Amino acid sequence: MTLWRGGDPAPPGGGGAGGEGALTAMNLRYNLGGRAILDHVQLQVQPGEVLALIGPNGAGKTTLLRALARLLRPLGGTVSLDGRDVWRMRPRPVARHMALAPQGAELWPLTVEQFVGLGRAPHRGWLMPLGSDDHAAVQAALERTGMTILRERPVTELSGGEQRRAILARALAQGPRVLLLDEPTAALDLKYQVAILGLARRLAHNDGLSVVITLHDLNQAAGVADRMALLSNGRVLAVGTPDEVLTAELIGATYGVPVSVCRHPLDGTPLITPLRGEG
Amino acid sequence: MTGRLRLRPAIWAPALAIGLVVVAILSLGVGAVWLSPSEVARALLTPHGPDTIATAVTIVWDLRLARVLLAALVGAGLAGAGAAFQGMFRTPLADPFVIGASGGAALGATLAILGKVSFGVATVPTAAFVGAMLAVMTVYGITLASGANSATALLLAGAALSTILSAVVSLLMLMNDRAIQEIFAWLLGGFSGRSWPQLTMSGPPILAGLAMLWLLARPLDALTSGEETARSLGLPLNVARGAIVAAASLVTAAAVAASGLIGFIGLAAPHIARLFCGSSHARLIPASALVGALLLLIADSAARTLIAPTELPVGVLTALLGGPFFLWMLGWGGSR
Repeated sequence: MTLWRGGDPAPPGGGGAGGEGALTAMNLRYNLGGRAILDHVQLQVQPGEVLALIGPNGAGKTTLLRALARLLRPLGGTVSLDGRDVWRMRPRPVARHMALAPQGAELWPLTVEQFVGLGRAPHRGWLMPLGSDDHAAVQAALERTGMTILRERPVTELSGGEQRRAILARALAQGPRVLLLDEPTAALDLKYQVAILGLARRLAHNDGLSVVITLHDLNQAAGVADRMALLSNGRVLAVGTPDEVLTAELIGATYGVPVSVCRHPLDGTPLITPLRGEG
Repeated sequence: MTGRLRLRPAIWAPALAIGLVVVAILSLGVGAVWLSPSEVARALLTPHGPDTIATAVTIVWDLRLARVLLAALVGAGLAGAGAAFQGMFRTPLADPFVIGASGGAALGATLAILGKVSFGVATVPTAAFVGAMLAVMTVYGITLASGANSATALLLAGAALSTILSAVVSLLMLMNDRAIQEIFAWLLGGFSGRSWPQLTMSGPPILAGLAMLWLLARPLDALTSGEETARSLGLPLNVARGAIVAAASLVTAAAVAASGLIGFIGLAAPHIARLFCGSSHARLIPASALVGALLLLIADSAARTLIAPTELPVGVLTALLGGPFFLWMLGWGGSR
């Protein structure tokens, strides 16, 4: 359970012992073809919380996630990890602290175990064989994602949902303090949607990770997020708890669809229902 | 590819190594004078022993051993470089010549044969080596300078430069019809007349480049998951890609310098290796090299004997024999 901190106290080569995993975006700007994709985005995620990025298609969710992951260099503004500008850090130290589970996967017939083992490269180095602690981290990541039984299978032969879990396992094997998940429930059936979102919450609440998650399903976002940020046209329209952000007024205006907000029968989180027969 | 044939390295590595030794001993025995495997073994192990035939020692050590070792090394090198490029470019169609090495080597060798360039003693091999390295460096430089810094851009630039260079070679051949046969024979590739000088020249760079590629196995694995994923894992993309291109091109250029353009081995051997060792490069690079060495050794033995005393160009043979086998294997292996 506590592998990411307790079981593996000092990841090999891992610096930044004081790193707690606070990720801050300041004034992020990015344009594409003259259109603002990110427009002065300010965001922060703290260790122990799940921040959901929501918004209509093309709002800039994935672009923002890529900018946070140091994959896209913003035209202006900074992304900082525990106060350090990620663009002033080398790629490997960043990858020891922050992991991305991307949405689109390009796959090659590595076995699941070999594929997840790639997540250990930032710790072990690119030219060194994996050690026993790396293998332990890989096994733990496979277990947490329910992939242990599939570890010998080539990832190209997995179902779409199994591939998503393999990608998540690879991100977990990185032993990150910040976990970025891009639409992690896409292509998963209901059982694994629930499992993955539950895992995201446990990683934040029990293991103290900072989790940023993009979701197009507002009700899933309401169920998993401690806080959410609503994006539209590259701007952050609202940040706050699901109750503060998921209002009929705000969601209706942002998505251009009239909605009604009711309550989840068990935990009382907001549930968005589009109203039929209008618009 | 399905996983049903996958074997442990503890099985395939010794099996291939033993196979390689057996085929090498058989190969040392075939030619104008046939030697039995025991005669070959005695000539190799106890050249001054009482039971050893002196002519066998001369034939094995002076005429055939260097050629057999060279064929094995060139096969290993082409296959290892092919496996690396297939992984880096994420395409099963890639071979060692995919970013211009063949075109550059052909132009270099052609210019040397025509007497336009000279490098002292080993003119044609050196010119081929220099041509291959220059072509690859040009392709890599263009890609870096254009800012379209991706594997796809590298592939496209390689295809474009290869086309240009082979057009120049064709033109030079047309304009110098006296040398056409010599150029053509070089382009087809083979080990006729190759011996210790070629082995000592090309062997070390092939081995060094293969060792580098093996060391780069995990970056190669990461690149097969896409460039964005590789970057998110902290891989310095340009350094990794540059090192892979440099190592694979060193191997390819050294192989081409020794033997001319031998096609197909670099494409097919990695696919055959993947059938039993999977796709992780830590295993695929050595397995491909062993398979490539085995294939080219068999092909060269056949090239020497099928229509003896005339030798077939081994490049023609690898395509003629290997092509149908490869097609059969793809159908049987249930590949995409």
